[in-house]
Amino acid sequence: MHQIQLIRSSTFLWALAVAAAFALFVVALFAFIYWKLDAYLVARSDRMITTQIRFIADLPPSRRLNAIADHLAQDSRGVQYAGLFDAGGNRLAGNIDHLPRQLEPDGAVQGVQLDLLQKPTSHVPVVRAVGRRLDGGDVLVMGRNVDETREIASVVGEALALGLLPAFSLCLLAGAWLSFRAQRRVEEVNQRVQRIVAGELRERLPESGADDPFARLARIVNGMLDEMEMMINALAGLGNDIAHDLRTPLTRVRLALERGRTHAATLEQLQDVTDKAIAGIDQSLAIVTALLRLTEIENNRRMAGFGDVALDEILREVCDLYEPIAEDKRIRLGAVTERHVQVWGDRDLLFEAVANLVDNAIKFTPSGGRVELRLDAEDDTALVRVSDTGPGISEQEREAVLRRFYRSDKMRNTPGVGLGLSLVAAIVKLHGFRLVIGPAPGGRIEILASIGRASRPVTRRSRTLLHADAGGVG
Amino acid sequence: MNRILLIEDDTETAEVIVAELADRGFEVQWTADGVDGLGRARTSSHDAMIVDRMLPGMDGLTVIEALRKDQVRTPVLVLSALGAVDDRVRGLRMGGDDYLTKPFALVELVARIEALLRRPSDSRQTVLQVGPLQLDLIERTARRGERELDLLPREFRLLEYMMRRSDQLLTRAMLLEEVWNYKFVPATTNLIDVHMGRLRHKVDGPGEVPLIHNVRGSGFVLRSRR
Repeated sequence: MHQIQLIRSSTFLWALAVAAAFALFVVALFAFIYWKLDAYLVARSDRMITTQIRFIADLPPSRRLNAIADHLAQDSRGVQYAGLFDAGGNRLAGNIDHLPRQLEPDGAVQGVQLDLLQKPTSHVPVVRAVGRRLDGGDVLVMGRNVDETREIASVVGEALALGLLPAFSLCLLAGAWLSFRAQRRVEEVNQRVQRIVAGELRERLPESGADDPFARLARIVNGMLDEMEMMINALAGLGNDIAHDLRTPLTRVRLALERGRTHAATLEQLQDVTDKAIAGIDQSLAIVTALLRLTEIENNRRMAGFGDVALDEILREVCDLYEPIAEDKRIRLGAVTERHVQVWGDRDLLFEAVANLVDNAIKFTPSGGRVELRLDAEDDTALVRVSDTGPGISEQEREAVLRRFYRSDKMRNTPGVGLGLSLVAAIVKLHGFRLVIGPAPGGRIEILASIGRASRPVTRRSRTLLHADAGGVG
Repeated sequence: MNRILLIEDDTETAEVIVAELADRGFEVQWTADGVDGLGRARTSSHDAMIVDRMLPGMDGLTVIEALRKDQVRTPVLVLSALGAVDDRVRGLRMGGDDYLTKPFALVELVARIEALLRRPSDSRQTVLQVGPLQLDLIERTARRGERELDLLPREFRLLEYMMRRSDQLLTRAMLLEEVWNYKFVPATTNLIDVHMGRLRHKVDGPGEVPLIHNVRGSGFVLRSRR
């Protein structure tokens, strides 16, 4: 099973392919060398016998026989052949038995089979030969054995084969090892992933110190897992928060109904109980509705209502709406809008975002305090700031307040759904704006909006503007 | 007697709405199907319609669109069970006159239907008169009998809206939407009550017969007669 897996693994298959390609290359190389060598040796033999036959043919007929005998005597290896035949084809001299039929006299050098006087033991040698018709009607044939080409080729071939085999084996071994190593790591990753799937969210992939692609991939995946663990935990917390926030009013409803059922004696008493129940259910429904709205806005689907929105008008309207209630709490509420600023967005949602910020500010600012709305604009960036003289949001709480249902411990008992700031954050995000929470003490929340139609994200430059600005106060 | 056509596929919701409207003296025709509803709206005349957004057969918005194309101008209140954010915009664009998200309070539904049926008094009027109250829209002055009322602009707007719809129940959501152009329920629930308190303080002086009435749990009414 394991072996089959190993053979099937792509790393191994790749190694196999590389080894095969290598072997093919070596064989081709060998063939090429052989072909070149063969051609070279044949050409050399051809040149030699051409010279020799010209030499002997040019001799006077009386000296030819001796020359042929000398020539053959000098050849200790027995690779030279020569024969002199008369016009009738009878042998006059040399070691060739009879005139080869295929040989064309006065033609080019060609490969032929020669019948020799002394028959060779092993095989009929391949011979290059050339013939020449002499003036007397005689035919002179000179030849040379080219078997040595084959011998040299076989030596070269053997050497190559000897080198090829270990190289091929090495390739396979390396492939098998790499494949095995990769598989071991994949197996380890697989086991850990199985544990993560099984719910062990804190599990991570092994990150070796090495900077190979595997380790890098593991680091990327681990980063993703960190992010997901955080989100899942937040979500789990959210579930708890929703359940808790829903249970509180529902418990009240249940108790009121239960008591009312047995104790209400008059219609008025029953109506009173029913009113309480309706109020409790309304509160639960408000939570559900707020959640649905939040989800919808976060899912980025609401673009139908987008248009040109005058931020200064929104600020003044929100101020107008909240003035009486601030007055009742003896809080001074004011809006400073020196410029007319238009942004591309959803008027209702932006109104709601600003209203939520003001609502919160008034809620958390003690009596006698001050809440201020301010609109500043510079180049392509508008800044809506809601500041108050309340406790503000501490550094530790800044992330948390944007979470759903988060309610600061200090304000545990303040009524409200606890979705206000997450809603503001979602609306701001939908518009491609930025939400900035300023340093405590003193509440200070800013919406950084881009002016004009293009819903591009707010630029880096404006961020510096903001921080320089924030530094002056904080 | 006002005739209302209700197109709503949830039987229980529909039964409660029919019963409530009947109690209030409306004659209600009910159908659960969009296609059937469109047919009825075309053939017989109604004073107002309540149309659910999600219907079997034909989508609620499509029904309204088809009716508007046929020049049927019956006022329509759209009901929706959705998160209803973009939906509201689309619902009104398609020709709905008002929009209510489920779950809703019955008083809210009735108040909105009555508002649809009783279109505000002629908007070309420059002086509004309700009982002893008089509002001059050009001079921007308000008086109760001989007494001059010193109103802030927002109080003037609020009073104008109420006088155009005197003797009608106006819910907090309606006031927020119409007077402040604010579509959603604010976190501070008594926001409108505070505004109304201010206005009432100025309109109903000590010893005078109160004109602005708080209807418990639902909203406010400006009564022209006792």
